[in-house]
Amino acid sequence: MRKFALTAVLVFLGGAFLPGLARDASASISLEKCTLCHGKPEFRKLLVDGRVRDLFVTGDMLAGSVHGKKGCTDCHFDVSEIPHREHPKRVTCTHCHFKGNREGAPQSDNVLAYFDSAHGQAIAKGNTKAPLCQDCHGSHAILKAKDPGSKVARGQVAETCGRCHMEIYAQYKGSIHGVALAKGIAEVPSCTGCHGEHKIYARNDPKSTVYATHVSEQCSKCHASVKIMGKFGIETEQVATYKESFHGVASQFGSRTVANCSSCHGVHDIRPQDDPLSMVNPKNVPKTCGKCHPGANPNFAVGKIHVDAKNKESGIIYWTATFFKWLTIGTMLALIAHIFLDMYGRTKRLRGER
Amino acid sequence: MSHADLAAGKVIRMSLLFRIQHLLLTVLLTVLAVTGFALMYHGNSLSQWIIRLEGGVHNRGIVHRVAAVLLMANLVYHVFYMLFSREGKRELRQLFIGKQDIDDFFQSLRYNLGTAKEYPRFGRYGYKEKFQYWGASAGIILISITGIMLWAEGFSMIFFPKIVLDLAIIIHGYQGLLAFAVLFLWHLYNVHLHPSVFPMNPSWITGKVSAEWLREEHPLEYEKLKGEGLL
Repeated sequence: MRKFALTAVLVFLGGAFLPGLARDASASISLEKCTLCHGKPEFRKLLVDGRVRDLFVTGDMLAGSVHGKKGCTDCHFDVSEIPHREHPKRVTCTHCHFKGNREGAPQSDNVLAYFDSAHGQAIAKGNTKAPLCQDCHGSHAILKAKDPGSKVARGQVAETCGRCHMEIYAQYKGSIHGVALAKGIAEVPSCTGCHGEHKIYARNDPKSTVYATHVSEQCSKCHASVKIMGKFGIETEQVATYKESFHGVASQFGSRTVANCSSCHGVHDIRPQDDPLSMVNPKNVPKTCGKCHPGANPNFAVGKIHVDAKNKESGIIYWTATFFKWLTIGTMLALIAHIFLDMYGRTKRLRGER
Repeated sequence: MSHADLAAGKVIRMSLLFRIQHLLLTVLLTVLAVTGFALMYHGNSLSQWIIRLEGGVHNRGIVHRVAAVLLMANLVYHVFYMLFSREGKRELRQLFIGKQDIDDFFQSLRYNLGTAKEYPRFGRYGYKEKFQYWGASAGIILISITGIMLWAEGFSMIFFPKIVLDLAIIIHGYQGLLAFAVLFLWHLYNVHLHPSVFPMNPSWITGKVSAEWLREEHPLEYEKLKGEGLL
């Protein structure tokens, strides 16, 4: 009887604790177990829409990545039995990557920035096509952004973005920036250079770095820098001359209809002026200006657009400005002299009359 | 001139129509200067405050152009009035610059420096008034032409290369500055700070000046009126 009671207690306790023990065990399902299936190169699934989802993952893929020491269920923690019956949910990186985590995962506010971004907001609204962390950073072979092989590295990120933004990627590849990127020039902007990394917003969102009134500031980050532009023989005065122009001043005071850099030079398809496809090629200038100034003719392409009246190279404009400057100073000095002389003479006359 | 004026020793110097033109000019030039310089010196915090006050660059432009149209209308009216009205023609004749004015200018310099005994005796308008009148007129015409070119920028760009418009901006802005500087220094001195009128020559409001002032500052005009029996 006592023996029975003891057994009953043990069974009861076992019933109470064993499921817990089992769950603990599931947290560390060995890699080998998963790769029994996932390690087969032909392991893939045909989706309803005809696309193929590759399910091939090996330990080697994870080994070189930042998560080299993690196991499958560290991220796929909803998998508790092998083989799993349910389709595992998408991995939630914030499980570890939050400020104050104890896993030793890099801590930053990038996650919060992402949730506020165009992509994060789209996810929140239920758009299943919008990217999560792993869509840009990669899922198994995640490398640090500074690693040239990373999917979000300077040289790779355009291709990563291009997986969804295909047309834009095609335009970018042909642009001066895209061509320079392909040549391995380190200073050239890729997508994130202009749009930001996690804080990507729609271009009509005032928070966006490419919002109409922010464009010139964004371009000037590189194009106003003598240090960067000097390497490529590109003038830096374009930024200052734009800011002093009607377009630039109106933009600084919040006009969104006025031309900014990209209105004339293009957005993703910026090409050098001598390229026949360039929006600022003299042949295309009437069309480009004509977007805002109906009736623009080839005369719009005559002469320099970015003019600095303070620069001697501007010729007659510089000299006219200088002429007026000295005319004004001279006139004022002459008038002041005349006024003083007049008062002096008058005082004398008054004294004489008395 | 009424008998009451004569009794009080007052002489009409600006008729009502001229006072209206002058008042319009004062108000419009002020509006144009405030809106224009705010744009020209847009980096300045005061300018930015003014532009915000005007409701942004777009509205600033509208205010500037409305004032400009009124000013040009005022100018056209003035030209017609000076060319075709009896009063205007009489005034215009006395505003022409002649050799006498140049002599007067040098004589006043010599007098002020102590080498001439007599101060020049001016008629209705001395060289100071004539300089102000023709200077302002030339300035307003130049600034109107460049202003219209810039206003119709799409139209101008079709006929002129961009350099002409760049020049127009430079001329428009600097001419405005020059006009403003001259107005501020010269006109302020002549009609406010000059010892004979301080603190203000009232003729722009009342249209009248004292006969005494006329005798002192425009003796030839005074004698002419006296000769005509108007004083």
